[in-house]
Amino acid sequence: MFENFLIRRDSLRNEVRDGQVTGFTLAVRHANYRGCYLSLHNGYFIEVDGVHYPTELQSFEINGKPPRGFDEIRLAVHEHWDYDDEAILHVRAPGGLAPGRHTIRFQQSVLAAYGYLPTDEEWVRNPPTPGSGAGSDKAPQIMAYELELNEGEAK
Amino acid sequence: MATKPGTIKRGVSLYSYQQSQFFKELDLEAQIREVGQNLSGADGIEIIDEMSLRYPDPGQDFIRTWFGWMDKYGTVPVTMDVGMDVLQFRDHVMSHEECADRLRHDIRLAKSLGFRNVRVLSVVPLEILKSALPLAEELDIRLGKEIHQPMSLEGRQVTEILEYVEQTGTRHLGIVPDFGIFQTRPSEVLLAAFERRGAQAGASAASVELARLVLKDEAPFDTAGLLAHTAGNLRSAFTRFLKSGECDAAYADAFHGVRSFADARIDAARDLDYTVVAEALMLSRTSTDTLRRIAGHVTGVHGKFNNMSPVPGKPGQFQDIAIDYEGAIAALKEGGFEGYVNSEYEGQRYFQDRTRDDLMDEVDQVRRHQEMLKRLIGE
Repeated sequence: MFENFLIRRDSLRNEVRDGQVTGFTLAVRHANYRGCYLSLHNGYFIEVDGVHYPTELQSFEINGKPPRGFDEIRLAVHEHWDYDDEAILHVRAPGGLAPGRHTIRFQQSVLAAYGYLPTDEEWVRNPPTPGSGAGSDKAPQIMAYELELNEGEAK
Repeated sequence: MATKPGTIKRGVSLYSYQQSQFFKELDLEAQIREVGQNLSGADGIEIIDEMSLRYPDPGQDFIRTWFGWMDKYGTVPVTMDVGMDVLQFRDHVMSHEECADRLRHDIRLAKSLGFRNVRVLSVVPLEILKSALPLAEELDIRLGKEIHQPMSLEGRQVTEILEYVEQTGTRHLGIVPDFGIFQTRPSEVLLAAFERRGAQAGASAASVELARLVLKDEAPFDTAGLLAHTAGNLRSAFTRFLKSGECDAAYADAFHGVRSFADARIDAARDLDYTVVAEALMLSRTSTDTLRRIAGHVTGVHGKFNNMSPVPGKPGQFQDIAIDYEGAIAALKEGGFEGYVNSEYEGQRYFQDRTRDDLMDEVDQVRRHQEMLKRLIGE
């Protein structure tokens, strides 16, 4: 669902902290028709121009709080990511992205489901790696986006 | 056969407007206004809690606003649909009692918004419903378990509910048939979406052919093991099977059978082609006569549809060519059903691979569906 619309098209930006470009950010939405408890959110498969950025390099900004790594997001068991809300995905990549156009391959992994599944116990012990399709039932293909780096002032 | 005058009421599940909400074209108030003002007599509102609300607590101000909308637009809260994500705590799989706790929370939330019914997912174990039932009775909320394709009305998921109702005499437990169970073939809009992604036209033809055989119980493999599972879970399992070759034993015969069926009809079939053919496994093969007999246990109906197209030669009339609505509505009338049939449009997702301009108009699709419902109910 919403395969072509999960990343806001003008949202690809470099992130600057203390004068240094530390990585890049994207604005993302739920690949579903509903929200879910934030803890279920298991990270992203994200590849930019052939370079893969694993979950350890990602943090997630939602509900007016500073970006949290996915090791922390999984502890947000009573906090909800509502359907209407856009979140900001931060990716650590010193130096950031070059100006111009980039090819982004992308998949969201959210361990929300319809009730009990055979994979439940395994995913408690060993959560799936984003990009495998696990946790992506409603957008089961990795999607490719062509996005221009936005060098304007952040909103 | 003579039918009673129509006492079936019409409403809309706001699920139908999920895309308009995603793109912020219609907010919750605009969705309710559309139902109250533009659907010639429909007044029922069904929501999914995690889609329409600030969950888990929308707050007292919202509740006042909500009832204000109901008054202003002449609408009625009918059913709240609730979920069950068993990995919420991440360090363990939720027990039945933990799931019942979540359900009790959702029952209270539904009551606070004036809903009469709570729909639970088709896969919720009966133990969980039993545990939450005393609260539902106390608050006069009816719990309805969804029966969704590929499940059938003749299956264990329905009979266990009816048996429990008979044993206990409870008036607060029943079922919510999703009319996708009366699907007769894969939807034409689903097949077209697969073809845009590169599936062969031959795969679509094979899928329609297999669906016809499955409906007649003439499929060249055993499909009985599939009926207890949701379509979403079945699709996930098939995807996993294609990637890894592994699947649950209950699926094995059918999944291998689909592959052989496809290989016999399609040159150099790829995973996507198999996925298309596997859509034929999603049919429920259920009977409208069963619906007529158990209509008294129906708490509400999901009027599922994927594409309302014009009825040839009848201007202003619409139909979904893949779902037997005439049979289903007639069965509800004959069975004396007096609750709500709520439009539940799902076909928008099959256009979301395209550009914004090519997306479907949910408002128009629901209006068409309500034309059909009103006509078939015979208002």
